[in-house]
Amino acid sequence: MNAQNQRLPGGGRIDRSHPIEFSFDGRKLAGYRGDTLASALLANGVTLVGRSFKYHRPRGILSAGPEEPNALVTLGSGGRREPNLPATTLELGDGMVVETQNRWPSLAFDVQSLNGLFGPFLSAGFYYKTFMGPTRRAWMFYEHFIRKAAGLGRAGTDPDPARYEVRHAFADVAIIGSGPAGLSAARAAAAAGARVALIEQDFLLGGQLLAERSDGIAAAWLNEVEAELKGLETVTLMKRTSAFGVYDGNVLGLAAQREPLDTRSTGEARQTVTMLRAHSVVFATGAIERPMVFSNNDRPGVMLASAARTYLNRFAVLPGKKIIVAAANDAAWRTAFDLAEAGAEVTVADLRAAPPPALAAEAGRLGVAVRTATRIVDLRGGHAVRRATLSGPGGQSETACDLVCMSGGWSPTVHLTSHLGIKPRYRDDIDGFVPGIFPASWSGAGAMMGAYATADTIEDGHRAGIEAASFCGKSAPVSAPPKLDLGETVTAPLRDVPSAHRGKAFVDFQMDVTTKDIELAHREGYESVEHLKRYTTLGMGTDQGKTSNFAALAAMAGLRGATVPETGTTTFRPPFTPVAIGALAGRATGHHFKPFRRTPMHDWHQANGADMLEVGLWMRPWFYRQSGADVNEAYVAEMRTVRQAAGLMDISTLGKIDVQGPDAAIFLDRVYANGFAKLPVGRARYGVMLRDDGIVFDDGTTTRLAESRFFMTTSTAKAADVLSRLEFLLDTAWPDLRVAVTSVSDEWAAMSIAGPQSRAILAAEFPSLDVSDAALPHMGLLEGEWEGRALRILRLSYSGERAYELYVGATAGAQLWNRLLEAGDPFGLKPYGVEALGALRVEKGHVAGPEIDGRTTLDDLGLGRIAGKRSGFVGDVLRRRPALLAPARERLVGLECIEDGKRLRGGAILFLPGEKAHGHGRGRVTSVTFSPERGHYVGLALLAGDMAAEGNEVVAVYPMKAETVRARIVAPVFLDPQGERLHG
Amino acid sequence: MASPDFSLSVSDCLLIQVEAWNETLGQFETSLSASLGTDLPASVGETVHHENLLIIRVAPRRLWLALDDAAPAPPLAVDPDLGCSASLGEGRVRFSLAGADIARVLSTCIAVDWHAPTAAPGRAVHTSFHHVPVLLLRTGEASCELIVPRSFATSLSDWIADGSYGAI
Repeated sequence: MNAQNQRLPGGGRIDRSHPIEFSFDGRKLAGYRGDTLASALLANGVTLVGRSFKYHRPRGILSAGPEEPNALVTLGSGGRREPNLPATTLELGDGMVVETQNRWPSLAFDVQSLNGLFGPFLSAGFYYKTFMGPTRRAWMFYEHFIRKAAGLGRAGTDPDPARYEVRHAFADVAIIGSGPAGLSAARAAAAAGARVALIEQDFLLGGQLLAERSDGIAAAWLNEVEAELKGLETVTLMKRTSAFGVYDGNVLGLAAQREPLDTRSTGEARQTVTMLRAHSVVFATGAIERPMVFSNNDRPGVMLASAARTYLNRFAVLPGKKIIVAAANDAAWRTAFDLAEAGAEVTVADLRAAPPPALAAEAGRLGVAVRTATRIVDLRGGHAVRRATLSGPGGQSETACDLVCMSGGWSPTVHLTSHLGIKPRYRDDIDGFVPGIFPASWSGAGAMMGAYATADTIEDGHRAGIEAASFCGKSAPVSAPPKLDLGETVTAPLRDVPSAHRGKAFVDFQMDVTTKDIELAHREGYESVEHLKRYTTLGMGTDQGKTSNFAALAAMAGLRGATVPETGTTTFRPPFTPVAIGALAGRATGHHFKPFRRTPMHDWHQANGADMLEVGLWMRPWFYRQSGADVNEAYVAEMRTVRQAAGLMDISTLGKIDVQGPDAAIFLDRVYANGFAKLPVGRARYGVMLRDDGIVFDDGTTTRLAESRFFMTTSTAKAADVLSRLEFLLDTAWPDLRVAVTSVSDEWAAMSIAGPQSRAILAAEFPSLDVSDAALPHMGLLEGEWEGRALRILRLSYSGERAYELYVGATAGAQLWNRLLEAGDPFGLKPYGVEALGALRVEKGHVAGPEIDGRTTLDDLGLGRIAGKRSGFVGDVLRRRPALLAPARERLVGLECIEDGKRLRGGAILFLPGEKAHGHGRGRVTSVTFSPERGHYVGLALLAGDMAAEGNEVVAVYPMKAETVRARIVAPVFLDPQGERLHG
Repeated sequence: MASPDFSLSVSDCLLIQVEAWNETLGQFETSLSASLGTDLPASVGETVHHENLLIIRVAPRRLWLALDDAAPAPPLAVDPDLGCSASLGEGRVRFSLAGADIARVLSTCIAVDWHAPTAAPGRAVHTSFHHVPVLLLRTGEASCELIVPRSFATSLSDWIADGSYGAI
C-alpha cells in the first residue's frame, strides 16, 4: 500500500483516527474518513486519474467539487457498478473499489491516445464531414469503431441489488447551498419561525469556508452556526444531497447519497430522490472558478486555484511542491499564500500589470515570487506537468513546476435558477452572469448573486433568509448573524485573451473542445451559442460545461467582435448533476413497477390454474391450464365449452359508472351517438361514444335502473378515460345538467355466464328469481338480493350465445363465483379466460379495442345505423367531415383463411392478389381467431372500402414472420348472423 | 426487518357518497344536516365526527359518510331534486397506519405534508399513491387512514409494507 506522501502531518478536516483502505485500478491505497476520492488520490501522489473523451489525453484532477470535468471514475462492480462519478465529490468509503475509464489496456498506457495524432481530422463536426459518406450505410460501418474509440464509463448490465427510494418532503424555506450565504440564510429563516431545509451536496456543511484553515476564524464561525442550526428542530440539514432540478410550484429535485461508511444493515437506501416542495427557495449555490485557456492546459497537475486551496486546508494535502499560480484576480493569491505557508515554492503569474500592493507585500513576506502582466502560454509534461512557459514583459521563459493553479475569475452558479426559464443577465463589474429577475418566492444570496467577499455573503444570506421566511408569513425577530471578515479583496478578473496556441488549448475539458474547434465553428457559420454547443458538443458532457461555459462564450464573442452579453448564453436544463436512473425509479421496479389491480376472484384464478395476463393495470385470467396445455389449445377448448354448454368469465374489470340525476337521460343522449332518453327502466342498450372529432371513443352497455339512474359499463381499457370525459363535459359543457357520475368499478364483482346452459344454471342457483325469457329477455335487467347483498343480472351477450352478466358486491364476488361453478357443474360449466373471450367475440363480429383504435368512425365499423339521423351528440358535427365519409376509407370486413394449414395473424398487412407487398397495403388485419365453428382461422380487418366487396380475395402479409396467406372477404359476423343463439 | 415503530392493518370500509346539485346545495345541506343530526364540514378537507359516522367533504358538492366498523348505515333519504347518493362500501378498503415512523413511511407513498394544517388530525386530503387516487384521513398525531380502491389494495399495502422494512 502506498504511503500518503503528499499528506501534511497536521490540519485538515479529516479523521486521522479512522484510516480507510480503497482500491484504485487494483492498487490498494489508503486515506482517511473525511477524504474524497480525489483528495485521497492526491494524498497518495496519484495525479493521473483519467483519459479524455476523444483524444484519450492523460487527465488529472481539476477541481474539488461537482464541476469536475476530468476525474470521472467507475465505482463498484457487478450490479452495483456506477460509472462517470466525479472523484471530487465521491466520499471515501472503506473497501471502495474504483476503476478509471475510457482507457485500454491501462490508464498509464492507453493505445487510443494515438487519437491525439489524428487531432486535425477529429475537429468539431468531423462526424458530419467524414462519416456520412459515401452512402448512408457507411455510418453503420463506422459507428461501431467510433463508439469504441470515444466515450466515458460503461454502465453495468447485471441487476442492481441495491435499494433506491423516492420520497416527498416539504419545507417553508428551502435553501440550496450551505456556504456562508446559505448558512446565514438558514439561520435567519429558522429564527424567523420558518421550517427550513438546508441542502448541501457535500458531506460537510460550509461550502467555500471549507477551503479556509480548519483552525482559523472561518472554522470557528462555521462551527458556531452549524451548532446553532443543529439545535433547531425546525431545521433539516440535508447533507450529501444534490439539488438537480427546479420545477414548477417550487418543487426541487434532490438526489441524496447514503453515507458510504454505513453498514448495509441500516436498511437505508443507497440513493434517494426527494421531491421537496417549498413555499420559498433561497439559492445560495456559490460560484465556479473558471479555468484559463492556454496550450496543454489539460495536463495532470493543472488545477483550479480554489481547488488547490481546498485540498490543502480541508484535506491536509499539499498537491505540489513547485507551484505556479496563474491569476487574473485577487482570489488566487490567497491560494498562493497558503501553499507557500505550507512549504511550497510558489510563483504567482498575474495577468494584471498592477495587482493590489497589499497582495504584493504579503507575497514578499511569504517568499512568493510575483510576475505581473504575465500569462502561461504552454505546458510540458505527459502524465504530470513538468515545465511551464510564461510570457510577460520580459518575453517568454520556461519554469519548472509540478503544479499549476489557475484562476480565470468566477462564474456564479446560475444553473438551477435557469431551469424555469429565468435568463441570466451579465454584470460588467464581475464579468459574469447572475440570475435574472426572480419570482416573489425566490431569493438569491452570496456568490451566485455576485457577492464574493465572505462578510458580504453572510449579510446577503441573512437578508435572503428573512425575506424567504417573510414570504411564508414567518417574521419573528431575528438577531444579526455572527460576523466573519476574512479580509478578502474582490476585484473583477482581467479576462484573458489567448493568443495563438502551439498545442491544444482546451475550453471544454470533458468533451475535448479546444479553441481551434470554436474558431472552426465560427468560420463555418455556427456563431450562435446554441449552434456552437451542438456543433462542437461543448457543454454536453456529464459536467454540462460547468467550467467551460464562460470561456467558450468569451472566445466566440471575441471571434464575432461582440460582447459576451451580445453573444448570449446557452440554456441550462435539469439535471444540474447526473442522477442515477435507479434513484429516479426508486422502488417502482419489478412487481412495484406499476400497481396491479386484482379482481375479487383473483385468488381463485391463481389457485385454479389460470395463466394471468396483464391487461392495462388489471390482472386477468388468460386461460386455464385445465382447458389445455397451452393457450392455443386452451382457448379453443374454452370456446367449445361456451358454445356447447356454458362458460363463466370474470368481467369485474369492466368500467362501471353510476349515472344519476333528473337530467341523466338527457346527458346520456348527448354523450352517446345513439339515444337513451327513451330506454325503458329495466332495459339495457349498447351504446357508442364519439370523440369531438367524430372518431369512435368507446363502447359499452348502459342500463336504466330507475327513471333518473343508469348503470353504465365501459371497456376495461377506457374506464378512466370515459369517467374523466363525462366529468369534463358536466363541468364545462353542461354545468346546468343535474347529473352525478361516480366510478363504481371497484364496487361490483362482475361475471358473465354464457352458453346454451346458462339459464338453467341461473335457475339452479337463484331458485327464487324468475329468469325466464319473459321475465328477463335479451337486454333485460333483473335486480334482486343474494346472501343479503344487492344483485343485478343483465342479459347481455358478447359471445353470441345466450348470456348473462351478474353483478354483486365486491366482497361477495369470490363467494358467488364459487357457488355458480358448483351449481353449474352438472351442466358442464367451466371458467374461461380472456383469450377465449376475444375469440368468441371475433366469431360474432363484435368490435373491440383493435378496431376502436382511435382512427375509426361509426361508418368504418359498420355502426353508422346506430346514430341514424340523430344530432346533437358529442362528435356529431365533425363525423360528417367529407374526409370521414370518403368511400375509399378503410372499413370493417370479415376475412377467412382459404389456405389449408395456414393461419391469419393480427397486424398482417393486406394486399391485392399479385400486388407487390410493399408499404402500408390496402388495409390490415385487426383481430383473428381459430374458429371451431368454421374449422379454420377467421378474422376482422379494416380494408379500403373500394376493394372490400365480399367474395374478393386478398393476401395477408405478416413481415415479422415472413408469412403470406390468401384470405377471402366475408361478412364480419361468422356465427349466427340472425342472432338465434342469443335467444335459444 | 419490519420497523417496530409502524403498523398497518387493512379492513373493509363502509362508505356512502352523497352529492348535491349545483343550484340546490344549500337546501341539500340543510336537509342532510337535519337527517344526520349534526353540522356538516364546511369546506373540502374538513371532517365532522358524529356518533359512529365520519362526515368528510371530499369536493364542494360531494360528501363521504364513513361508518365505524359494524355500525349500521344511517337512514338516508336524499331528495332526487336536491341530490343523490351512492354506496361505495364494497369498492373501498381502509388502511389504518400508526406509529412513530408513520411520517417517514408515508413520505415514500404520498405527496402530503404531514405537518401542514391541511393534514392535521381531523383533516382529509385527496391525493395520489403510486398513481392511484386515495383519501388520507388524519386520525391522530401518529396515525392516519387511507381509503383506497379495493382492486389496488394488495399492491398498495405491499408497497407500504416494503417501505416500512429495512432493506439492502
